Amino acid sequence: MNDTAIKTENLIKTYNTGKVKTHALRGVTLEVPRGSFSCITGPSGHGKSTLMHLMGGLDRPTEGRVLIDDLDITGLSNSALAELRAKKIGFIFQFFNLLRSLTAQENIEAAMMFSGATEKEQKEKAQELLLLLGLSEKLKAKPSELSGGQQQRVAIARALANDPEILLMDEPTGNLDSESESEVLEHIFKLHKEGKTIVIVTHNSEIAKKAETIFLIKDGKLDRR
Amino acid sequence: MNIPKLVMKNLTRRKGRFMFTLLGITIGIASFVTLLSLGGSLKEEINRQAGELGANLVVTPKGWCAYEQISVLTGEQLPEAIPFDEVKKISAIKGLKAVPYLIEKTAYQNSPVPVIGILPEEMKIFKGWDIEKGDYFITVDEKSLVIGSGIAQQFKLSPADELTIRGERFRVKGILKETGSKDDIAVFIPLSVAQKLYGVGDKVSFIAIKVDDISKLDEYIQKIQDTSNVAVVSDKQLLRSVLSIVGTVSLTLQLIAAVAILAAGFGIINTMMTAIHERKREIGILQAIGAKQRTVFNIFLLESGLYGLLGGIIGLAIGLVFSSVAAPYISQNEFNAFMKGSTLAVTFDLKLIFGSLLFSLLISLISGFYPAWRASRLSPVEAISYE
Repeated sequence: MNDTAIKTENLIKTYNTGKVKTHALRGVTLEVPRGSFSCITGPSGHGKSTLMHLMGGLDRPTEGRVLIDDLDITGLSNSALAELRAKKIGFIFQFFNLLRSLTAQENIEAAMMFSGATEKEQKEKAQELLLLLGLSEKLKAKPSELSGGQQQRVAIARALANDPEILLMDEPTGNLDSESESEVLEHIFKLHKEGKTIVIVTHNSEIAKKAETIFLIKDGKLDRR
Repeated sequence: MNIPKLVMKNLTRRKGRFMFTLLGITIGIASFVTLLSLGGSLKEEINRQAGELGANLVVTPKGWCAYEQISVLTGEQLPEAIPFDEVKKISAIKGLKAVPYLIEKTAYQNSPVPVIGILPEEMKIFKGWDIEKGDYFITVDEKSLVIGSGIAQQFKLSPADELTIRGERFRVKGILKETGSKDDIAVFIPLSVAQKLYGVGDKVSFIAIKVDDISKLDEYIQKIQDTSNVAVVSDKQLLRSVLSIVGTVSLTLQLIAAVAILAAGFGIINTMMTAIHERKREIGILQAIGAKQRTVFNIFLLESGLYGLLGGIIGLAIGLVFSSVAAPYISQNEFNAFMKGSTLAVTFDLKLIFGSLLFSLLISLISGFYPAWRASRLSPVEAISYE
């Protein structure tokens, strides 16, 4: 295994909306070192989230390749991609994206279910993670009963459920008040210290200051800083 | 967490919608089961009544239609059209015993009661009746009644009690031992008295015939038709004809019920499509956390299948209870005239139970297939970005 966790090669993503073609990415090549803390920044609508989706196998590029641990994921089947997402990547989104009908604990268990964990393993791990994130009192709470910060911490716990090596975050503090933001950031920085490869799409300069690598995306192109 | 648990949580999150969709398939299956179960029971009962008639041949006036043929078995009122002379002629044929029936009706305590005019001695031998209480007729023109055990029980009648038929008072002379047939719910009077009472001259409704040699039925039919200008049907022909009518009616009703189930299937499609629209974002989340397309498909197909399974079980239970408890009281027509006062037992056969459940499950799975396929084909990014 080399030192690069994620590598993209000349990534192009074009959306066809009727007769109009939208070029979201115009050839992005980058490398994310293993265990690094990287930020993707840039103006809104210039392709940051698209890049993150492609890096996480949530979408397929029009051209180019994405390599995770040297594995070209662009040619993988939908099923193999889903398996990769279940085991190797954890996602954290701006709007938390928890399953509303499930409790905090069940949200974490659901993520583990897709990676093949037994119900006993799911329960133990979910409770352990929620305890670590300071939510041991909220195991049975549904997302609607949690504050924004608490929901995002559940989302972090869910992303960590299968112990992925890579964590991809899209504006993880974008929808939080300053107090919750500090709490969430504290957890994220801790995860980095533990050796996780973290890529954050953000406008937040505080986060960017802490990043080891910053990828600036403008008009679908990369400006490395 | 496991998939069935997740499916149950998804299903019950919108309780109102869940209940209404479930109700659709439940009502469809309940009516299907009721009709299927009643149809089966009715056929069994018709078979039993035909056996109880105790005749190999039935002589009817020419031109009787299926309705009258059914009435021979149900004991409903029949037109009187065969002159007694014909009865005599047919009785004279060697190798058969002929008993005439004049079937009329009266009302007692606001309930319809069949009044059957018979030749007392001949009918007693023909049917092998025994007397439970009181005595049997002694003469062929005595103005008294012998009643079935069911009637005696229903109206709490004993020998020496009186009944008024068409304004004339009759004394109950005897009560028959229970036969398990329609005879239990009929009132018998001597034929000549009945003919006078109802003013039908010397006519009878039909003649039941028992033959000595059953292998020569066709010969007897020919002889009877040579002797008299009447129609003759064998008990088997009569049974076939009645069963065919009942079968057609049952089938039509079952088809209507099947259409109701089909409509419920469209209700499931509608519910599932709405659910997919509402849960688009969740589908994206499931995909992001590692759910495969096949898993998403299975989740939605299971949700749909559960409607069929639950609706099927509840509908089946309601249908069976309804057909055994409520159906005999729905209306008073020719068909369930069979049930009233008889020992009709609803058919609880395994074929019906598993068939209905399978049908319900199949309809719901077919209904869920397209929505589930649509859900599984959603792109994760498109789904997750949906607001």
